[in-house]
Amino acid sequence: MRYKILTVDDSKTVRIIVRKAFRTFDCEILEAGNGVEGLAIAAKETPDLILLDVTMPVMDGVEMLTKLKSDPALKAIPVMMLTAEGGRDHVLKIAKIGVRDYLVKPFKEDVLLEKAGRVIDLKPLSDTPSKAKSIFDPATILVVEDKPAIIQQIQDGLKHTPWKVIGVAAQGEAIDFCARTPPDLVIVSLSLPDESAFALFRLVRTNIKTKYTPVFALAVKTEVGQQQQAQTVGFSAIITKPIDLGELETKMAKAMNLDTSQRYYALEGDSLIMRLPENCSPSVLAESANYLKPKFAEAVDAGTNKVVIDIQQVRSLHMGVIKLLFQAMQTCRELAMQFALVGNPHIIAECKGFEDTRGWTFYDSLDEAKANLGKAAVAPQLASA
Amino acid sequence: MPATEEITESLLRDNITRAVGDVFKTMLGRETSLTSAAEITDQQSWPPLGTSAEAGRPHVVGTVGFLGDINGLLYLYLDLDFAREATCHLLSMTPAELEEAGDEVINDAIGEITNMTVGSFKNGLCDAGYPCKLTIPSILRGSNFSIEPISSATRQIYHFNCGGHRLVADILMKVGD
Repeated sequence: MRYKILTVDDSKTVRIIVRKAFRTFDCEILEAGNGVEGLAIAAKETPDLILLDVTMPVMDGVEMLTKLKSDPALKAIPVMMLTAEGGRDHVLKIAKIGVRDYLVKPFKEDVLLEKAGRVIDLKPLSDTPSKAKSIFDPATILVVEDKPAIIQQIQDGLKHTPWKVIGVAAQGEAIDFCARTPPDLVIVSLSLPDESAFALFRLVRTNIKTKYTPVFALAVKTEVGQQQQAQTVGFSAIITKPIDLGELETKMAKAMNLDTSQRYYALEGDSLIMRLPENCSPSVLAESANYLKPKFAEAVDAGTNKVVIDIQQVRSLHMGVIKLLFQAMQTCRELAMQFALVGNPHIIAECKGFEDTRGWTFYDSLDEAKANLGKAAVAPQLASA
Repeated sequence: MPATEEITESLLRDNITRAVGDVFKTMLGRETSLTSAAEITDQQSWPPLGTSAEAGRPHVVGTVGFLGDINGLLYLYLDLDFAREATCHLLSMTPAELEEAGDEVINDAIGEITNMTVGSFKNGLCDAGYPCKLTIPSILRGSNFSIEPISSATRQIYHFNCGGHRLVADILMKVGD
């Protein structure tokens, strides 16, 4: 649900500052220059929050607030005063009419967002589907761990990604970092002293800018109690030490809602390339399988009817891989697409050892496969060895 | 009833220094320091910017009044370059964008900066026992300003340094009812 925030202020400058403050959140900003306009927009749009100035021409904020609160249709709309009028007596008088909060100018954007976030559930724009990021987009990952070797391990393990991994050793540094640059994902070690991982988790969740940021817990595999506690409080995922970096990367991409299809599928020239990585873990296969039908259909829709299934990088053949390849070939048949396989000598030899895969024909390189697909008038038979 | 005569110069100085410091730090990220303070006792016209060459440069002046148990006006003087810089910072605009947007945008931004400064200043006075309300800001543009106060007004002029720019707060307060 897209929230509506109405800012009522005679200063265009303040209205621009308000609009700017909420620009990264999924909400619509409505503007009014005085109380009369404010009441009209409130009646028409029924905003979820009104930010109201006091001193304005035509109708001031106190009069608008009084009228709003005496209108049965509008009185439930939460109002937050945003005004330079801040003497104690004045604030008390306005508070009695009924306001949710009171923010005295000058104000920091962060404070405005924090107070507004107490009234409405502000969601960052990046959480909305239209803004889904790809696996090739940069992201900032904050690792909070007092053991430098673990930070180094994660940095090394993710260095092939466009993600920037920042390591800090303590809760305080993490809070400072989040205030300066809200990260895209946080990984916190549960072994930080004084249960500060849990305190940090709570702070991240209460900060409007990091409220929806995925937070992973990092725990030793045998520390089951700690892991259960982390699950109970709502950590997005638990990563166990020793860290499986492939799994970590997959979970991170999923938590950040990244489009990972480009890892496995790419349109190159007039062919769709389906590529499997070296380590085909169950999560990798599941991720690849999820994109299979939509990506093949997308290629057909774009006028491509050739597919090269590239498993040159795959280290070993197992049932999961075979099942996925059968699914790909079946999809090609359904969509009347031609396809060719590219493998390495080890995989090709392994295929010869299975009854179901014995007849598969492989090319040694992508170029060779593409060239032969170009020549073929119809899709090659699967079992034409 | 508390009157303007009861308000000491140090109360005004402390409040205007705090208000200017808060507003310029919070909204513009700039540190300010009080460089001079002057109480104008005669009723002669007095140039708030002094008589130096700087006073002849174009300025943008925000004015906001406060009405209640005490009544007065506060003028905030910024030279045009500083006003442009402040507007760009406040609205996250580039100088080229500001140029295109026009003078109205600068006027509105300086009006709001003045509103916040006078608000913060008078809120301090309210909490000290002198309740009053703000008026709507207005803007003057020009150079070589000279203000001639009415006979029943006190006048204090404070000069601040704000990151190399001069900022002048000229406070006029009505004496008596």
